[in-house]
Order: sequence, then structure tokens, then C-alpha cells
Amino acid sequence: MRNTLSYPELAALIQARAGVTVDPVDLERPGSDFDEFGVDSLGLLGVVGELENRHGFKVTAGAESAKTPAEFLELVNTSLTKAGA
Amino acid sequence: MTSRQQGRRAVVTGLGVVAPNGVGADAFWKATRQGVSVLDRISRDGCTELPLRIAGQVRDFDPQAVIDSRYLVQTDRFTHYAMAAADLAVADAGFHPDAEQPYAVGVVTAAGSGGGEFGQRELQQLWGQGPQFVGPYQSIAWFYAASTGQISIRGGYKGPCGVVASDEAGGLDALAHAARAIQRGTDAVVAGAAEAPLAPYSMVCQLGYPELSLADRPDRAYLPFTAQACGFAPAEGGAMLLLEDEQAARRRGAPVRAHLAGHGATFTGASRWEESREGLAAAIRIALADARTAAEDIDVVFADALGVPAADRAEAFALADALGPYAERVPVTAPKTGIGRAYCGAPLLDVAAAVLAMEDGVLPPTPNVTEACHDIALVTGRARPAELRTALVLSRGLMGSNAALVLRRGEGS
Repeated sequence: MRNTLSYPELAALIQARAGVTVDPVDLERPGSDFDEFGVDSLGLLGVVGELENRHGFKVTAGAESAKTPAEFLELVNTSLTKAGA
Repeated sequence: MTSRQQGRRAVVTGLGVVAPNGVGADAFWKATRQGVSVLDRISRDGCTELPLRIAGQVRDFDPQAVIDSRYLVQTDRFTHYAMAAADLAVADAGFHPDAEQPYAVGVVTAAGSGGGEFGQRELQQLWGQGPQFVGPYQSIAWFYAASTGQISIRGGYKGPCGVVASDEAGGLDALAHAARAIQRGTDAVVAGAAEAPLAPYSMVCQLGYPELSLADRPDRAYLPFTAQACGFAPAEGGAMLLLEDEQAARRRGAPVRAHLAGHGATFTGASRWEESREGLAAAIRIALADARTAAEDIDVVFADALGVPAADRAEAFALADALGPYAERVPVTAPKTGIGRAYCGAPLLDVAAAVLAMEDGVLPPTPNVTEACHDIALVTGRARPAELRTALVLSRGLMGSNAALVLRRGEGS
């Protein structure tokens, strides 16, 4: 994995783990939040689990409660940096 | 039913059916009226090497086509059936909930086992790979209440919601529960039950039931009220109804399809079929009293028809105990012999069939059964025309619940 999670990768994970189809462009749009896409915290928890299982690092606790894609990416990518990925 | 507010009565305005013999009330009724049997070998992946071979499998249902992809990931098959049936019921009723009145609509389902297929998949992840591989939706998808929750959330129905877990007979109890919500002031309730017991784990659980039929011929697997009775064939699917306050339905010009006139429920203990005679007879008496209906006013009985000799005998005796000499004359039918018993969904399919039978003026037959060996007038062979104003639907659960529901034909719009 590259050293950051991208919006297209996040969109693909949301599709797989929460069953919700979202356009990466919409995820990236300033001010967008998970509520408007119908992605709940259980869906984000599934995304977190998938990232951790796939790449063997620990995502900061609480990332699944992020309100916006930007906030979620920030938390995941900070965790990645700390893990030295 | 008790604690009525003045003048409030629950009526059926919409039917949503997902059954082995048809999806949608029209397809279901066509097959039911014709007495088609769709019992067959279970063909689902992982289910073909078990001692339970014959069941009623829902085959004309493509979840991808009717269920939003998020619910395919987040919910079990039993919820897919319930959501699809709820959509069909609401559409059938021409019901458009008022977005300004979200608390006017509630949801009640009955469930016998929850989401076994989903639960099995995640538990296999748990012991196969470890806890971090269990998907978070496991926390909601396999619970009995999952279907009520998802229907409520998706429809925006914020009125009284609940799930009844009282055995197969809970299907009828759920309707009574919904009717009470309507009598207390809720305008509409989406109510019913759908089950999905045809998955490997769920099937293994059922193998513990002595009443389960392990026969391997579809036309011999489920023959209640006969000398060849050898247990019941299970089924998946069920039905959801839209129940409304009669006045609310009339205000919006919706045809009243049927009245939920009376209900009774009793408990006599798991697999105690001899005792179920007394319990079922009591449930019938309570339901008739609740409906202020005389035994002779019942035009058709939809029997529980378990297919276990002691249980069938108890049901025939219960009818005689509760209805008197009229029990030998009242037409009794069990369309479920053509589709199997869908646990809590079974009595819901009987309620749907009863409403459609009353509308159509037709007694549907009991597929595969040619002659009853008890003193009841079982409708076999072909459907036959009859003026049907009042129907009695009976249900018993393997764990000892007995219930009876009296339905009265609606007057249309």
C-alpha cells in the first residue's frame, strides 16, 4: 500500500464493506459528510477492519465515528504514518 | 381486542407476499388457488448434503434486483424477504405516508430464528480467521428485530415498532400487537413476518425437531391429517400486511380488504401436542369472543396442519371442542402443504390467502393431500367457489404457542 489512503480507495472500501456506492469525487467535495451518503459508523468500522486486516496496522480508535471523509482520511493516514508504512 | 379507543379498528389494506409459490399477492394467489405444490429438493449452496431434503424454497426472488446494495451487505436474507414484502404491501395499499406525520406509522414483525445465514458467515470468520475479521453488521443483522428495524429506518416509520418472538404462532400475535397499536392511536402499521431458515446452520438446528419431515419425495414430505403424515416440510418467505385504522383508510379512499376481528393466544408447552388440543381450542374461543362471532359464522378454517399425527388429531379435536358439531361441516384448508411451513411466516401466508380467498370467493385446496383421516371437512383436490365472509386462521409453534385469528371480509372502498 502506498503511504496514504486515497478517495477512490475509500470509495471502493465503502462499496465493499457497507454496500454503499459513492463517487470518489463526491467524497472529496469540501463539506461533504458521511450522513448524506448513508454511510453509518458500522460501515466505517468495517472499512477500518478491512484496512487493518489487509495492511497490518492499527487505525486510531474513533476513526469510525468520523463525520466527514476528509476527517476519516486524515485519521487513517496519520495512523499509517505513525505505523511507518 | 382490548383497550380500544372509541371507533378505532384495524383493517387490512395491503398485502405483500414473498412465498415459495410466488412473489407478489397475485402470483401467490394464482398458485394457491390452483393448489400447485412447489415443495422440492433444497438446491441452495451448502444445503444439499443434509438429512433435511424437501422444503419450500423461494426461487423467483432476485435480491440484487429488488434490494438496495447496502442492505445486501448489511442484512440477512430474512430481512431481504421482509423488506421486499413490506414494499409490496405498501404499494398494494397505494399508501403514501405523510412525511409530516412520521409517528403515525409503526412496524411490527415476528421472527422465529433471525438471520442464520448471515450469522453463520460471520461466525465462520470468527473461528476461521479471528475476531477482527467479523464484520460490524453482524451486530444487527442476525437479531430477531433486524427486519423491523430496517423497515422502520428505511421507510421513516417512527411510530410504535416491535418484534414478537413467540414461536411460529407469533406471526398471528404480531398482527394482534399491531392492531392494538392502531386501537391506541397509530394510523398504520406495517406488520407481518418473513423467515429464511434454508441455510446450513439453520437447517442443522432444525434437525433437532422431532416434527421435521426427513422424507425425500416432495409429494410425500408433508401430508397433514392423513395416515401418511410424517412431519412438516419447512419453508422460507412470508408476508407483510399494511394494517390501518379503518377511518384513516376510508379518509384516504383506500379499499378495506379485511377486518382483523379477533385474536386469541395460549401456551401449552414444547411438543406437547396432546395438550395443544386444549390450548388451541381456548385460543379459538378467545378469538371468537373477541370478534363477537359465533362458531357457525366461520366460513373457512386455515388449519395449522403440522403433519404430526398427534398434533393433527389435537387440532381436529380442538376444532370440535371450540366449534361444536359445526366443526365437522366447516371447510378446513391447508394451502401450506404445497409450500411448506415458513415458521412465523406460515400463518402470515395463511392470513394473506384468507384475505384473497374471501375476496375471490374461492376455497383454496390442500395440495398433495387426497383424504383426511380425521372428522374435518378438508378441502382437497380442486379449489371450489364459496361465499366467504369470515375466516379463522390457526397457528401452533413447536415450542408450545397456540394462536387463532378471526378475519372478516372487507367492504372494499
